[in-house]
Amino acid sequence: MMPLAMCSEGEVKEVHCVGCGEGLKKRLCDLGLYDGTKIKIVKNDISGPVIIKIKDSKLVIGRGQASKIMVKEGRQE
Amino acid sequence: MKKSIRIALAGNPNCGKTTLFNNLTGMKQHVGNWPGKTVEKKEGTFSFKGEKVSVIDLPGTYSLTAYSVEEIVARDYIVKENPDLVIHIIDSCNLERNLYLTTQLIELGANLIVALNMNRYACKRGLEIDEKKVSKLLGVPVVKIEAIDETGKRELLDLAIKSAKSKRKSENRITYGKEIEEHLAQLENFVKGNLGLRTAKPKWISLKLLEKDKEVIQAVSKMKNGKIVLKKSEELQQHITEVFGDDVDASIADARYGFIAGLLKESVKKPKVDKITRSENIDKIVTNKYLGIPIFIIAMYLLFQITFTVSAPIVDWIDGSIGFLTEISMNFFESVRAPAWLTSLIGDGIFGGVGSVLVFVPIIMILFFIISLMEDSGYMARAAFIMDRVMHKIGLHGKAFIPFLLGFGCTVPSIMATRTLESRKDRIVTMLLSPMMSCGARLPVYVLFTAAFFAKNQAEIIFSLYMLGIIVAILVGFLFKKTIFKGTSSPFVMELPPYRLPTLKGSLIHMWERGKLFMIKAGTVIFGTVLIIWFLSSVPFGVEYGSEASAVGIIGKAIAPVFSPLGFGNWQAAVSLFFGFVAKEVVVGSMGTLYGVGEEGLATVLQGSFTPLSAYAFMVFVLLYVPCLTVLATIKRETNSWKWPAITAVYLTVVAWIVSFIVYQGGLLLGFT
Repeated sequence: MMPLAMCSEGEVKEVHCVGCGEGLKKRLCDLGLYDGTKIKIVKNDISGPVIIKIKDSKLVIGRGQASKIMVKEGRQE
Repeated sequence: MKKSIRIALAGNPNCGKTTLFNNLTGMKQHVGNWPGKTVEKKEGTFSFKGEKVSVIDLPGTYSLTAYSVEEIVARDYIVKENPDLVIHIIDSCNLERNLYLTTQLIELGANLIVALNMNRYACKRGLEIDEKKVSKLLGVPVVKIEAIDETGKRELLDLAIKSAKSKRKSENRITYGKEIEEHLAQLENFVKGNLGLRTAKPKWISLKLLEKDKEVIQAVSKMKNGKIVLKKSEELQQHITEVFGDDVDASIADARYGFIAGLLKESVKKPKVDKITRSENIDKIVTNKYLGIPIFIIAMYLLFQITFTVSAPIVDWIDGSIGFLTEISMNFFESVRAPAWLTSLIGDGIFGGVGSVLVFVPIIMILFFIISLMEDSGYMARAAFIMDRVMHKIGLHGKAFIPFLLGFGCTVPSIMATRTLESRKDRIVTMLLSPMMSCGARLPVYVLFTAAFFAKNQAEIIFSLYMLGIIVAILVGFLFKKTIFKGTSSPFVMELPPYRLPTLKGSLIHMWERGKLFMIKAGTVIFGTVLIIWFLSSVPFGVEYGSEASAVGIIGKAIAPVFSPLGFGNWQAAVSLFFGFVAKEVVVGSMGTLYGVGEEGLATVLQGSFTPLSAYAFMVFVLLYVPCLTVLATIKRETNSWKWPAITAVYLTVVAWIVSFIVYQGGLLLGFT
């Protein structure tokens, strides 16, 4: 298990838990990111926000938030 | 008269909702604000097979929680105004996420139709969507359309009118799991027994209460027996959490996504391997760590370069026509021996003032046309991503960059756009800084001065002013972060929409709307100001028009010394800056009036009272000093106090003076004139 901010580009992970405030958690859920969703890390430079692919859309997530989203190895389908 | 059918369009941002709206209504639309809210409200009408239909384009939302003003507006419209039909437009390439909103529209009990849009893109990706199955599983009619052309439009409208007349309400087929269902049923009964609901459905109210929806809780608390209902709902929530150890709202969201996953499994065939799309390839370059910022700067440069190249001949043509009209009317007034003041009012005041502003309509329209193309293509979101790192330095995040970008068009919508930022601190900082993004109204001033002094590299000089605004904003923002606005930045989450070909029609409509707004402004505020200037320039009667002896000359002379160290201590400059407070483009109009010449002669006159360096310092001052009245009024409305507009006005004027001082005195030291 590791924070999303630490993942490398191209990796496929599964969201383990979203450790941020209620409001943001809800927003992320509206955008399709909640516990158990599969995500692909599209872009992660050392600084700046992270781009992930989730369901069929791409999301930009600030570095601060990306450090609070814990992910684990994705299940193979 | 036959009653018209009311249809609301709902959908995620970037799903093609506005494209469909434009396609249906064409020019028959009206853009305004939702009452009491600074969210844009678009209404339009059209006729189909003898039926009159009025359409509302609801704000684009991902959900119907009370997370943002847009969501509340969309939800309130459906619940309270109860439209005959809601059409939910869905991006077929992103079915799963889009359907999340569908489930909530179904929960609301709206009379719903789903329109699957962008099927061509979905096809290219290898998605096979069986819309009949989707319809069966959702319990809602589904049509495939292409919002950009006529594909499926007839079917959609036939279905829409049939459905609207049927007054059908969609029934909720989502099961929220045994435990939640039980509690929900209990609460629903309780709500039915205690609240006198008019339009909202008890099941929906109960669901929202369990989800801890702030708006609904607040509304219920104001109702008769509301307190008892809230107490009951809290009890039930606690019970669920205790017994099942799960957050109620998370479980409800899970149930919705579960329902969607089941539906997709039966109705959609997906390719095994994800193809790498063109969007992804473009993004690899555009969002690259090293290439991103240079590409962004080139894009901005092209934006302004194209604007000027394309608009130049049109501007010349308008300029010529106004000159021609002035001459004809002056000749006419002289031939009928009209009083001198009337001739002067028409010639100096109206043609000289308003005419010189109207010249800029094509520039503003073309600028907005290109900005709209960039926005619709999906590039603006990338710009926000790229700028996040820079914005972080001033304690904001990339999303705050969008208000700044809009600021290049007009500061008013940019102040309004700060609503999308969640934290108050972010909003205030953005409001304080965004006036430094050079708005369209300042452009006329630059165009006039660069034409007179920097004719060879007009675009480069104007570009440098835009960049200077950004740089000063970053420096001031950095100062703010270190002093008055300390603290951590707020969360940054944003969708990166796929690149799409923007539609000509959409951008043209957008351009027309903006151009119209500017012309209305030119016709009212600016016209009024020009008349005041004309009056002040003519009293005491008998003095030479706009001379030093006139009222305006006396005012100007009194404030001019303040600007001497900046290189433009002449009274005409001072007076025009003074009037520029009403609207910045008035600076040009008033100069035309004050020097008593039209647009063409103005350049020559200016060369007499400015040097290239002092002209540049003047433009810097116009760029940075107090924003126009409308902006201050908007800040007042958004922050609900006079404190922030007052601070904005004072601090920006001080910043403008300091920067112009540095530019002028520094320039002198470096040997420029």
